Amino acid sequence: MKNLFISQFIYCLFFFFLLNKAVASDCEFQMADMNWPSATLIANVDKFILEEGFGCKVELIPGATTATFVIMNEKGRPQVAPELWINSVAEPLQKAMQEGRLFSASDGPITDLGEGWWVTPDTLKRNPQFRTVLDILERPDLFPAKEDPTKGEFIGCPAGWGCQLSNQSLFIAFEMEKKGWILVDPGSKAGLDASMSKAAQRGENWFGYYWSPTSLIGKYNMKLMDFGVPFAGAENWDSCISKGPEICINPKASAWTESIVKTIVTPEVRDMSKVMKYFSKRTFPAEVMNNMLVYMEDNQAQGIDGAITFLERYSELWINWLPKEIVQKVKKAL
Amino acid sequence: MLDFFTEFPEISRSDIRDIKTSIDNAFRSFSRNYGESIENFFDPLLWFLIWIEKLLLNTPWPIIILIIALLCYLGARNWKLPLASALTFTFIGYLGMWEDTMSTIALISVATIICILIGMPLGIWMSRSDRVQKILNPILDVMQTIPIFVYLLPVLMLLGIGKVPGLIAICVYAMPPIIRLTNLGIRLVDKDILEASNAFGANYKQRLLEIQIPLALPNIFAGINQTIMMALAMVVIASMIGVRGLGIPVLQAIQNQYLALGLMNGLAIVALAIIFDRALQSYGRRLQKHNVGNKK
Repeated sequence: MKNLFISQFIYCLFFFFLLNKAVASDCEFQMADMNWPSATLIANVDKFILEEGFGCKVELIPGATTATFVIMNEKGRPQVAPELWINSVAEPLQKAMQEGRLFSASDGPITDLGEGWWVTPDTLKRNPQFRTVLDILERPDLFPAKEDPTKGEFIGCPAGWGCQLSNQSLFIAFEMEKKGWILVDPGSKAGLDASMSKAAQRGENWFGYYWSPTSLIGKYNMKLMDFGVPFAGAENWDSCISKGPEICINPKASAWTESIVKTIVTPEVRDMSKVMKYFSKRTFPAEVMNNMLVYMEDNQAQGIDGAITFLERYSELWINWLPKEIVQKVKKAL
Repeated sequence: MLDFFTEFPEISRSDIRDIKTSIDNAFRSFSRNYGESIENFFDPLLWFLIWIEKLLLNTPWPIIILIIALLCYLGARNWKLPLASALTFTFIGYLGMWEDTMSTIALISVATIICILIGMPLGIWMSRSDRVQKILNPILDVMQTIPIFVYLLPVLMLLGIGKVPGLIAICVYAMPPIIRLTNLGIRLVDKDILEASNAFGANYKQRLLEIQIPLALPNIFAGINQTIMMALAMVVIASMIGVRGLGIPVLQAIQNQYLALGLMNGLAIVALAIIFDRALQSYGRRLQKHNVGNKK
């Protein structure tokens, strides 16, 4: 009983301060802490910088792509989604942006992200002539398949994933069968991870599908290959490549469709000009992000541990995001 | 002081991290140094698997169905089973699952052969020595209960994805029943009969091959049946590490909630299990025919 009174009292006090502070700082909002490592890191870095540097009050609440988007769109909170992958919510997002319910604060919180075809660094070191995917396709003999060494082995995407269909279509579009390749289905993410890690650890050649930012890409310093052909249009991709060979009879060779990631905010935050300016400048280069993911995985670091390590290690990077006086404040808080 | 009782005195995070990294690093250097030779060691097995798979895939389908019907007939010596299995396989092929089914049959046959070849001698050994039984029992418990990816992950890092790791996963999971039931069957053989054989001057080999194993056959065949069933249940898991076969469409169906695709391929696995089992069981029953008259 006593506890209840005390908590009520504290609650009142808290509320009082909240009101005061809202008037004082005018910068208080909720931010989505998405359920994958890179988004958690960004959310925690944002929280630290906004709270210590700008004197805001940021509350992190758990999120997931679709769920967060829906409540942001309907309820206007959380007010910020720091790393929202647009492809899965493209249409409703466009509508919400047209109607002024949501805004993009940054069109590229992470650079060079997305899906594609990768090789191990040792492959490139031994074969500096490999400039694009097209060069690799000429040399299936360098990637002998375990079960049929006369063929080259291209590791695709696990059975049942959306990317499985896209990889199958591209396999046809690049005429890989004729060039002596087989498409191997790794069966699961565990299978795909193991196949890539094994090759990278032993310095073997490996050619397959993966995506970034991920800790494995950072850990083994995998190299993304340019496709050597341009992106052959959204229509080719959306209504052919991504539908798989059963529907897509004549796929056109194409680079992988771009994955778009944005920082999305509600009108409430859009009016905070300093915060918006910070978001627009805050960009994580892919390499930094992958290295941080490796660090977080190796040390089983929580988001906040990762954020502080990032701020300590990469100060030359983030000081460019902020005005000078705020840099001082953040550095002091570290 | 109170902390000690409310908070479990656990090892510090940095210590546990050091332990984990040192284990991981030790394994990594082991894999770098010996991975290739271990891979080479398993190569013959891989070639054997591929050879069987190719044989099944390249033989015209009517011949395969004929051979299966013939094998069923040799096992069962009646016309019901061969007819049913021929019809089942025709239907499976008609639904477009022929190639996946052949891959699965290749994998399951090799897995079953390996399980019997290793499992039966182990079971016999276990039945002769209580100490071996004491050591093997907990190992078999581990094999049957340990989450598959826990041991599969190191196997994958050593051998890469594909057929051999799939085979290992299947055998680890499917071998215990044949070991346990061989052991049990031999231990259950009537002591009086053994005494009688001793009195007639039977040597070790005669006692084992002509008395104990034949009398233990019902249990041994129950073990083989369990092994086949469990091997087929593992087909989907094997597909998760890149083994072709009926498991791949099942995985696809699970991911995308394709009800019909999942059901069709799942039922094809069931059909394989039933045909395998019925053929072997009726063969086993014929082997034991001489017993039937003696029983009560």
